[in-house]
Amino acid sequence: MFNIERKGSEYRVLSYKDQNCVGCGICSEVCPTDSLRLGPTVPIARGLIEMDLVSVNANSCAFCGLCSSACPFGALDLTIDNVSIKELDVYPKWNVECIVNDDDCVYCGRCNDVCPQDSIIFKRELPDRSALVRGEIDIDDEKCIYCSFCADMCPAGAITVKNIPKASNDVVNNSIEVDLSKCIFCGVCKRICPENAIMEVCSTCMYSDEIDIPEVTGETFIVENTCVSCSWCSEICPKDAISITKPFEGNLELVEIEEEEKICKGESCHACQDVCPCKAVEIVEGKSVTNLDFCNLCGACVTACPQDIRVVSRTAMKLENVNSKSWSEILDTLLVGK
Amino acid sequence: MAVKIDPDACGHIENCPVQGLCVKICEQGALVEENGDVAIIAEKCDDCDLCIQNCPNQAISKA
Repeated sequence: MFNIERKGSEYRVLSYKDQNCVGCGICSEVCPTDSLRLGPTVPIARGLIEMDLVSVNANSCAFCGLCSSACPFGALDLTIDNVSIKELDVYPKWNVECIVNDDDCVYCGRCNDVCPQDSIIFKRELPDRSALVRGEIDIDDEKCIYCSFCADMCPAGAITVKNIPKASNDVVNNSIEVDLSKCIFCGVCKRICPENAIMEVCSTCMYSDEIDIPEVTGETFIVENTCVSCSWCSEICPKDAISITKPFEGNLELVEIEEEEKICKGESCHACQDVCPCKAVEIVEGKSVTNLDFCNLCGACVTACPQDIRVVSRTAMKLENVNSKSWSEILDTLLVGK
Repeated sequence: MAVKIDPDACGHIENCPVQGLCVKICEQGALVEENGDVAIIAEKCDDCDLCIQNCPNQAISKA
């Protein structure tokens, strides 16, 4: 993380948050003064070196803000008189979204499980199990021999048996209890009981019309700051409740050149897999395979590949409102591939 | 093929900014620390070039 500032007729601050950075190097590619440097992404991804992915030369930075506008992941931000240029009308804006539609979400939580960036805030309230079942259960203390067959077999973990004395004067102090918030009246306890001590009746079917299906409530929210637009969540959502716009359109290929011995070394290297913020890369049969459904075309793997055989070709980017001709020319270089 | 190390450029573990990054990054065990220096076990090298790319001193090149 860094914050550098320039005081003058305007007060400009360029700040960088490493936790949002994916190590794509787009900022250093577009910097007109060559002031941003991408660090060693593979050793950083592997935890061999602890340092920020991007560093800045504060002496040469012109505080123009092009890096801040070009970063698709919100890792860089230029403020002018304490206002982010992302809020200013004249500066470019990424027309991307990562939104969960509350009306369609059923709170299954699968998006939360697959998100490679832990960018989803997910919580849900399930109803009490007792709200979904009807029945009665009673255990006859006189008949019970505290064998624990029922407690060991109860699939809901609803029965607690105390059958080991704590002290010599405690030998008869046994107890057996059923937690009615857990019991589903399945009857396993009754059937296994060797003493016929358990009375249990299930009336769930009989009352099924009267049992309201309680609503599962919750919250699923994508933290825009740390989302890298990989689309794992939207791809896995069974209800199509998530919209993710990727920052780029295009392709990523592995172009091996056998004559120059530029070939993918698969498991030996796996640098691409380590740096990919999207978990889009896998090594299959000794070769790197990128699933474009999950790739955000950031290009972090392209820089990381020691064989230099990964080619990203971006055909469009969702950065809009680019008003400066010189900025437009520089940003266009991101589109012809690296 | 393996790699070669330029002894003049190499930080020899002690003066390497990360105390032997090449040794740490090579998962083939082709680069090992030996008496405070880096030794190459050529037959283990898979020519992945990770060490070449990541050496902070640019001391490693193809043999």
